[in-house]
Amino acid sequence: MYELTEEGRRYLERGLPEINLIKELCKESDLKKLREMVDGFNIALQWAKKNGWVKIEGGRLIRERKPGRYDLEEALKNLKNAGKEQLNILFKRGLIREVRDDVEKEARKYIGKEINNIHPSLIKTGLWRKTKLKRYNVKAAGRKIYPGKIQPYQKFIMQVKQRLVELGFREMTGPAIETEFWNFDALFQPQNHPSRDWTDTYSLKNPVYGRLPDKKIVEAVKKSHEGGWCYKWNEKRASKLTPRAHDTAISPRYLAKGVEIPGKYFNLVRCYRPDVIDATHGVEFNQLGGFVIGKDMNLKNLLGLLKMFAVEFGGAEKIKFYPDYYPFTEPSVQISMKDKKMGWVELAGAGIFRREMTEPLGIKEPVIAWGIGIDRLAMCALGIDDIRELFSQNLNWLRNHEVL
Amino acid sequence: MPTIEFSHSDLERLLGKKLCLDNFREEAVLFVKGEVDGEENGEIKVDIKDVNRPDLWSVEGIARELRGHYKIEEGLPEFKSRKSGLVVNVGGKVEKVRPKTVCAVIKNLKLDDQAIKQMIQLQEKICQTFGRNRDKAAIGVYDYDKIKGPIRYTTFKPKELKFVPLGFSKEMDLEHILKEHPKGKEYGYLLKDKKEYPVFIDSAGNVLSMPPVINSNYTGKVDEGTRNVFIEVSGHNIKHISVALNVIVTALLERGGDLYSVDVKYDKILTTPNLEPRRAELDMEKCRRVLGMDISGREMVKLLRQARFDAKLADNKIKILYPSYRNDIMDERDLIEEVAISFGYNDIEPEEPKIYTRGEEIEKELYSKKVRETCIGLGLQEVLNYTLSNKKDLLDNMRIGGELVEIENPISSRWSVFRNSLIPGCLRFLFNNKHVEYPQRIFEIGDVIKIDKTQETMTLDKRRLSVLITDRIMGYENISSVLESLMNNLGVKYEIKEKNDKKFVKGRCASVLVKGKVVGEMGEMHPEVLENFGLEKPVVALEIDLEVL
Repeated sequence: MYELTEEGRRYLERGLPEINLIKELCKESDLKKLREMVDGFNIALQWAKKNGWVKIEGGRLIRERKPGRYDLEEALKNLKNAGKEQLNILFKRGLIREVRDDVEKEARKYIGKEINNIHPSLIKTGLWRKTKLKRYNVKAAGRKIYPGKIQPYQKFIMQVKQRLVELGFREMTGPAIETEFWNFDALFQPQNHPSRDWTDTYSLKNPVYGRLPDKKIVEAVKKSHEGGWCYKWNEKRASKLTPRAHDTAISPRYLAKGVEIPGKYFNLVRCYRPDVIDATHGVEFNQLGGFVIGKDMNLKNLLGLLKMFAVEFGGAEKIKFYPDYYPFTEPSVQISMKDKKMGWVELAGAGIFRREMTEPLGIKEPVIAWGIGIDRLAMCALGIDDIRELFSQNLNWLRNHEVL
Repeated sequence: MPTIEFSHSDLERLLGKKLCLDNFREEAVLFVKGEVDGEENGEIKVDIKDVNRPDLWSVEGIARELRGHYKIEEGLPEFKSRKSGLVVNVGGKVEKVRPKTVCAVIKNLKLDDQAIKQMIQLQEKICQTFGRNRDKAAIGVYDYDKIKGPIRYTTFKPKELKFVPLGFSKEMDLEHILKEHPKGKEYGYLLKDKKEYPVFIDSAGNVLSMPPVINSNYTGKVDEGTRNVFIEVSGHNIKHISVALNVIVTALLERGGDLYSVDVKYDKILTTPNLEPRRAELDMEKCRRVLGMDISGREMVKLLRQARFDAKLADNKIKILYPSYRNDIMDERDLIEEVAISFGYNDIEPEEPKIYTRGEEIEKELYSKKVRETCIGLGLQEVLNYTLSNKKDLLDNMRIGGELVEIENPISSRWSVFRNSLIPGCLRFLFNNKHVEYPQRIFEIGDVIKIDKTQETMTLDKRRLSVLITDRIMGYENISSVLESLMNNLGVKYEIKEKNDKKFVKGRCASVLVKGKVVGEMGEMHPEVLENFGLEKPVVALEIDLEVL
């Protein structure tokens, strides 16, 4: 809906300037004189020329053709029946504007009423003053919105890693499918010994064998096994593939490749063992481990490192060390800590890598190695007592779990 | 890690000292690398962590070790033996079956109920763990008074010889024993495909046993009335079975009795058991360096003697004699650990390593973090699934074929292959949450494992992202908009190419390309896939490789 602007109304009373110009042209053709006689001469001339009614010749205006019926004039007189094209021209010339009636009409509907929402028309017209907004029960809880969130266990892992990075540890990684060479042999675990049962491992149906690394390393590892354990070391056995049974498989890869000395390293990876699945054994699990290498590293340092972890990651009140056994470390130690809720909890296993393990990899410096039961710590932090819930399949739980 | 059980009173009796349970649990058990696993009615259960210390797998061995640490009896334990005059003739035919044996005789034993229980437990633990389920070492204990020497260790054909196996009352031939006796069924595989079976038989023609399967009921039954025993260990390696024999013999001697040696006749005579202590040396400076402790040589000697070693100072070294039942001394480090354990781990002052380095995460993790953050911003809930899955979910249910990384010995067929895609695990997740409020918008960032023959491990881990959205009404445009927003925010230019893929609805799925290389796919899941996963609402999905972005 349109209505006339002030100028539009003036033109409706006095005629459009270009029509007035044509009328005056009957009496006078001198441009200068016409300028004096016609209101809005510039606009009049512009439109008269555009319509092809006139042309200028030597300071005179000459009529070319009679205007006849002028649609724009008709439109001005009767906006309701005007065509779109004419309305557009009128609008551009500022002769008409949109009617505010709709806004006001909408706003008036609410006057004197008690309303729920403030309609924009009420604000635009100021008519909100004549309405009353209903009182709400502000104590009612809001409707829940489920934002995008990080999985709680993932969040815990990210925080632990962040802390390790802050403590100066560099991350390592390795393949989920390992050769037994890196998983066992490079860790000085003899091929036919209970220590390989100790980790109870999976083997693969497809693919079955992988490739062994550099011949120099293979030969050195073979020599170390045959000298230390007195048996014939089998290369084929070492090239068998196995889903990584423990995270320590990664350390010898890095030691063999060359590490910064002194240096601090960590890894946090999935591991696989054929355990019967229950509240304490998941289908797969994460292990956090690593090592510190430096020419003066000793048992005291190892205990110091473990104590720091217990405080950093477990908020331990009390700690206790137990002599332990791993085929690849000597001395070996386990640390337990006292947790407020859970009581004594086994936190980590550690030791100084055996010479028989590090020397074949070309490492002369002592390496103190450690592994933390990250899943147990996560369960404490997330308040769950079934390890399977770390990989929760419950969307409600994920949506509603407090952000760590 | 063997778990052993014994009675508290038996331990105190062997120790010759009162030791309350709290003290045992908190202190004593640390000296034997153990951890108390349970206590009930005076019975204690202990996990012995060291798989190379069979000498600690009985209460007798534990008591012997603790007597040193409680200064009741320090230094090397002494064992005297006399000649029994008994000969075991080893026939040439055992060479192909089970070639080696070492033997001993102990007389004047006083076997009570506790002693018998411990003996059986120790035998079992040694045979299981150290003996690899009787393959590498199997132990037989017999009533010496019923045996008439010399003994022959030889072989017989399956039907050539009959005897009454332990716990049975009728005579059976060797073949029948393997087929019908419970132990025959359990251990018979160790003699599979052998033409003849090994047998210990005495000069009166009485069978002692068919190792490593079963004793005879006549000589092979030992009870509280037995005073004198004959012990044999059979296997493949003299060194290995000698450790087992020494462990069991020295354990029995803790309760009294006199040890007699046996002449085992191969080509040469081997007199067993050999309980001669072994020699070792410890560099004191090295010991201080590994422990990080300023500890005197005299202190080291004292601590080693508490661990039941003989130790003497000699210049800057310590000369050591260690007992013949120890199977774990391989390197100086092993001796250094003994010093530390004797000192007490909890009496060592911990000292944080003073190494200052710059920490950092690997690139793959940093990139994953960035993508995770973007997904969270898009209002998606992160989920975590296992990397293990099954063929049905990964292939059949997805209407595709392909080669998977497969486990040979799965515990359950449900977790028997490694995932090649994140989408099936996420569909399974949606199935588990069918009745939870919609819309459901989830994502997962994780590794898939693909076969790749160019790799050292024949496999390659690939870091992926998957996004799945489901609601009553859901279409392709909902997932293409996630991709567009994601790529826009990661600053990655990409192209979309239509493709044919049976897991998606035809004409509503596409490949995602970056720099002309396919890095992922997206589309509306095919209704048949939804049916296969038991889903009732449409699902759109996206999966892309993060490392190639």
